[in-house]
Amino acid sequence: MRALVIDDSRAMRRIVSGTLEGFGYETRQAGHGQEALDVLHEGWVPELCTIDWNMPVMDGLEFVSAVRANPAWRAVTLVMVTSESEHGQIVRALAAGAHEYVLKPFTADALHDKLALLGLLPQEVAR
Amino acid sequence: MSAPVVTELLDEGTVAEIAEQAWAALVGEEEVLVPLPGEPPTDPVSSWVEVVGPWTGAVVLTCGRDTAEQLARALLGEHAPEVVDGEDVVDALGELANVVGGNVKALLPAPSVLGLPEVGAAPSPGSPADTCRVDLLWRGQPLTISVQGCALDLTEENGVSL
Repeated sequence: MRALVIDDSRAMRRIVSGTLEGFGYETRQAGHGQEALDVLHEGWVPELCTIDWNMPVMDGLEFVSAVRANPAWRAVTLVMVTSESEHGQIVRALAAGAHEYVLKPFTADALHDKLALLGLLPQEVAR
Repeated sequence: MSAPVVTELLDEGTVAEIAEQAWAALVGEEEVLVPLPGEPPTDPVSSWVEVVGPWTGAVVLTCGRDTAEQLARALLGEHAPEVVDGEDVVDALGELANVVGGNVKALLPAPSVLGLPEVGAAPSPGSPADTCRVDLLWRGQPLTISVQGCALDLTEENGVSL
């Protein structure tokens, strides 16, 4: 399985990528939404995108809307991983087309559980 | 109606609790923040995020540069590169402010907008009455988190209509 980790924080990209690789994912990283769209346009279309909200150039919500506007990317699961914890923001992200919402700070177990709920864990790490 | 001051909206215990949760999840489960003041660092560095809304100000994290480097290593943990460089330290410190700031913002009146993290010399605080500050020790080193009203009106500057 493939995952694209989108976050303007290099540290957070490393942490999320490392965690997903531990779950068996092949990962790529992008520092903002536009960079992530470029990866998708390249043809590297993952099963999962983890998306920060506040980023320069193109934020997470704009990215979600752009992905959902393209039928070719309908199968991509979009998970917001963000410190934006206001209820209204969560509703906005889900309304725009995100499947799930993980609040920072999060643990590897919390991410594991969300992915398990979505059926997005390789068989050998699903428990 | 006048703008609220932050001390009417949250208290030190709440800010400390948010910081403890962020530390446990990001820095390490065994990492403890002790609610005691220490000697101010001689070489302070700050990271902060601005909040613009009915209450406008910044959530500022300040510590010494050595502490900031240790924080970056701890945050990256097993995912750390062989050499943790200055950019890693700036990035990690900014992300900690972002996570603490995002959770503080959730307790402030909506609608509010969270800015991108910045790192450098701390922004000037507003009035003491509009500041909620917690002094902590991490690994024996001082670290301060301050939720402080901004002396400037950021609303127009950031183009946010409230």
